[in-house]
Amino acid sequence: MTDRRRNSLILLLVALMVAASCVVLATKPTKQGLDLKGGVQLIYEAQATKGEELDQAALDRTIDVMQERVNSLGVAEAEIQRSGSNQIDVGLPDVTNPQEAADTVGSTAQMAFYDWEANVVGPDGVIDPTNPEIVQAAGFRQNVAAAPAYEAIMRARELKPADGRRAVADAQWYAVNDRTKTVVAGPQQTREQLATSTSLGRAFERQPDVLRDLRRSGTAKPYRLVSIPSGYRIVEAEDDPDTKIEGDPITRRNSRWFVLRDVAELRGEDIKNPAQGFDQRPGGRGPNVTFEFSDRGKDVWKDITKRIADRGRDNCVAPAGANPRQQAQICANHFAIVLDQKLVSVPLIDFNENPNGISGSGGSSISGSFTIDSAQRLANQLKSGSLPLKLELISQQQVSATLGQEALSQGLKAGIFGFLGVAIFLVLFYRALGVVAVLGLAVYTVFFLALIKLIPIVLTLPGIAGLILTVAVAADANVVIFERVKDELQAGRSVPRAIKDGYRKGLSAILDGNAITFLVAFILFMVATAGVKGFAFNLGIGVIVSMVTALVMTQAILGLLSRSPIITHPAMLGARKRDPIWHRFDFVKASKWFFSMSGVILAIGAIGIGAKGLNFGIDFESGTQITATARQGTTVEDVRRVLEPLGEGDAKIQTVELSGDAARERGNGQTFQLATQNLDRDELEAVTRALGTLGVDPATLDSNTVGPTFGQTVARLAVIAIIASFILIALIVWFRFGVRFTVPILIAVVHDLLITAGIYALTGAEITASTVAALLTIIGYSIYDTVIVFDRMRENLKRLPSAAFSQIANRSLSEVLGRSLITSFSAGVPTLALLLFGGDTLKDFALAMLVGTLSGAYSSIFIAGPVLTEWMERLPTFKAKRRRLTLAAGGTLPPYPDANASKGGVDPFAQRPKSERITAPEPEAGTAVSANEFQRMVDELGIEPGSGGRQRTAAPEEPAAPEQPSRAADLSPEEVVLRDDRTRGTGARKGKGKSNRRHGRR
Amino acid sequence: MAALTWVLIALAIWHFTIFVPDRFWGGIVGGFVFSMIGGVLGGWLLSGLSMPSRADTDVVTVLLGIPGTLVALTALWFYGARKEAQEEAAAAAAGRA
Repeated sequence: MTDRRRNSLILLLVALMVAASCVVLATKPTKQGLDLKGGVQLIYEAQATKGEELDQAALDRTIDVMQERVNSLGVAEAEIQRSGSNQIDVGLPDVTNPQEAADTVGSTAQMAFYDWEANVVGPDGVIDPTNPEIVQAAGFRQNVAAAPAYEAIMRARELKPADGRRAVADAQWYAVNDRTKTVVAGPQQTREQLATSTSLGRAFERQPDVLRDLRRSGTAKPYRLVSIPSGYRIVEAEDDPDTKIEGDPITRRNSRWFVLRDVAELRGEDIKNPAQGFDQRPGGRGPNVTFEFSDRGKDVWKDITKRIADRGRDNCVAPAGANPRQQAQICANHFAIVLDQKLVSVPLIDFNENPNGISGSGGSSISGSFTIDSAQRLANQLKSGSLPLKLELISQQQVSATLGQEALSQGLKAGIFGFLGVAIFLVLFYRALGVVAVLGLAVYTVFFLALIKLIPIVLTLPGIAGLILTVAVAADANVVIFERVKDELQAGRSVPRAIKDGYRKGLSAILDGNAITFLVAFILFMVATAGVKGFAFNLGIGVIVSMVTALVMTQAILGLLSRSPIITHPAMLGARKRDPIWHRFDFVKASKWFFSMSGVILAIGAIGIGAKGLNFGIDFESGTQITATARQGTTVEDVRRVLEPLGEGDAKIQTVELSGDAARERGNGQTFQLATQNLDRDELEAVTRALGTLGVDPATLDSNTVGPTFGQTVARLAVIAIIASFILIALIVWFRFGVRFTVPILIAVVHDLLITAGIYALTGAEITASTVAALLTIIGYSIYDTVIVFDRMRENLKRLPSAAFSQIANRSLSEVLGRSLITSFSAGVPTLALLLFGGDTLKDFALAMLVGTLSGAYSSIFIAGPVLTEWMERLPTFKAKRRRLTLAAGGTLPPYPDANASKGGVDPFAQRPKSERITAPEPEAGTAVSANEFQRMVDELGIEPGSGGRQRTAAPEEPAAPEQPSRAADLSPEEVVLRDDRTRGTGARKGKGKSNRRHGRR
Repeated sequence: MAALTWVLIALAIWHFTIFVPDRFWGGIVGGFVFSMIGGVLGGWLLSGLSMPSRADTDVVTVLLGIPGTLVALTALWFYGARKEAQEEAAAAAAGRA
């Protein structure tokens, strides 16, 4: 197949794919992430429970149960997925109440039924069903057996372990403060889990001064870890309508608890068909939950209610004259229903009405202090069953729809400006080639957007950042090739040949670079948190798609156009007529000053980190961040004033300027951003209520709460990701280049990362999970950039066998500096667009990328190159070569290899061996050589051009590269040999000769 | 955080080794590795064999990384120069033989 036909087919295929992509774009919806369309994201950490190991199967079952509960919320497109080995990520779009969502989705909902009087431990530590005081106000805080949590735990600790075979509770460890007689945190299943739990960490976030003082004074921890003996548990008293308890009940002084022998008669699995109902009996308690029993449940229910009724009647000492109903009210024993750690209902069994127990065939009901919503929620939880694993909420984020849309529009604006910036630059710099590259970028964007809809990829804000950066990656591939094309043009080749060779020679570096970027994206995807995964996924997909458009499609277009007058003039390709300003610049000698500059920057960065520290965001530090719009005229002091009663007076509060739709929808209100310690659900609700007094609409409130556990996870994963990337990429580079080239590359990467860290310290920019993604991308980009430089060095090492290494380095650096500057610019433009238009979320990410991009380009030329040179010149071979060349040059080594200045033959083309280049292999039959190479061959063969092959006696001076490409520059070695056979050669050019057709030359 | 600042200051100092004749054992790369080790080790020693916490890291903490780096680089340079001299002497002796 001819080149023309092949290129036409490729373009036809691309056109068909573009058409198909347009159809997909027009017909398929885009799946937006929560950060763009608003909603609630909950991240849970799963823990093993009694009889349930924390493994893949248990996590899957837990997710199934959660999915059923989410369905009961009526949330469309909810996403529940496993994250890491023990986390579950729940995304609930369009949900505006994170508290309700968390209650519904994440509560364990472990239901158990107890014979109350037979199991409740009295104030004296004895179980006594005959004690009439125990019967009164059963289950309520007024009951004599009820006690504050600390006392209940201490009471339980006095008991001897009981038979735990029918026990439900498995979390028996608590942290208590003996001085204040309060419970600090708990329960947890093991001592270790408690010691590292989020709730314990949160407890001391509240009093960091106390902790610090205690640590400094070497005093013991202000809490003690204690456990309850097996076979017992503590349960919270039933809600009293008059007593509203906020916050975690175990840590609140006014909550009341019972010690219960943990002998459950029935469990959640013994009931079926739970539903929200309404207790319509006289004196009924309003909304309730009705249910039926399973076959086993029916039998047990009948037996146990009979036993309770009998005991109530037998032990009854009612006042004289009491009617049967009064007798029952005074004497009847109870049945307790416990959900998780709380008494939901403690109904009495009227021994007069049900002397033989209650039949389970008609089902039963749970009445308590329910609202219709809470009754519905409980019914749904019972319907879906209890969660196999215990879940701890470690991160909670609520994004309002308006701010999400604003973020989307900012991301899109950044994308459009980034694309336009790159496009304008490419066209101005590369002219016709640039137009083709922009066409390639446009096709790439269409393909990518279609893929996003087709797969579908959930589009998040970091994902948009990834998409924008892949535009830079795609442009970079074109830049590498175009610079090669320009090199070939300057070496005297014709435009078609230069294009062909440019693609061929640029391929190796592009493959290396893209493989590294893809690897970084892969590692990031494997270890990152959910938001950053979107970035990684888009980056990875983008790398693959951009390879197709940048290499295959643009090559096909240029292949077809290569004989067209549009691009046959080198000027139309942006080929330089003059050497760049750095031509013959002594990079190695000047590296001293660049090293000094880097040293100073790093020292300033180190001092900056020492003086100001790094500003880690709540992703790492844990805490709660709230964005809310209050009525116009509200000041920071007003916000602080309403928060002070809640103990949040020291929150960091700042005003925020909204723009676009978000600003319009929120009218003239004043928007604030609050950063405070980690708030639990009830505290967040209280803060929301307090802000409501300032006119804040809860539906427009954004909040992000990250618990210490999640923060630690993010930090740990960040370190793992960076180290893993480093090691894997080092292995790849080592495999491709060998150890001597690998170490300087890694040094350059360390240089870039540390300079970025220093800049972050100096600017005070916030380090978030997205910043880690940016750092990893910097690693990829920096290595990519250095690989391009080293690729050229390795190539020149083969071409300049007699040159000193510093000369090779200077020549290589001179050749690639232009490309490096251009790619930095083309990568920097989209990054700058992200920084300027991407909004707050992407600003810090973009800053890291921008600094890293610039530093990466700089270090690849001015750090990695000179380090490699210094190191290589210690090798005996290069040391001897340098000494010899210095002597030959009169004591000073020329910075560049020069044929005239050195008789040692350091000119590459004067001593070019048969097999020279690694990345650009020896031209095969049918491929072209440069004008200089051609002349060399002519000289070696003793052929005098145009003379019919007359022998020459002396090698002529090397001709300068022609201003305009000549046909001779494109000739292959075969064509040189066949030159005498004018008939065949002419015939071949007319398309009749087989030999030339074989090589695809027409 | 303290370790990060020591690595940073060590790396900063290492950049200036370009002005010194390259006689470091292992060359410029050897200098890089040992400056880092020296910086962190020296900082740790001068901090009383402890790693200052994030809150305790300040400008003085950063400066604690300097002596270790300089000592490591100096030792590495003298060791490298000595080895180089020995190798040259051995080569010269072999040449004469």
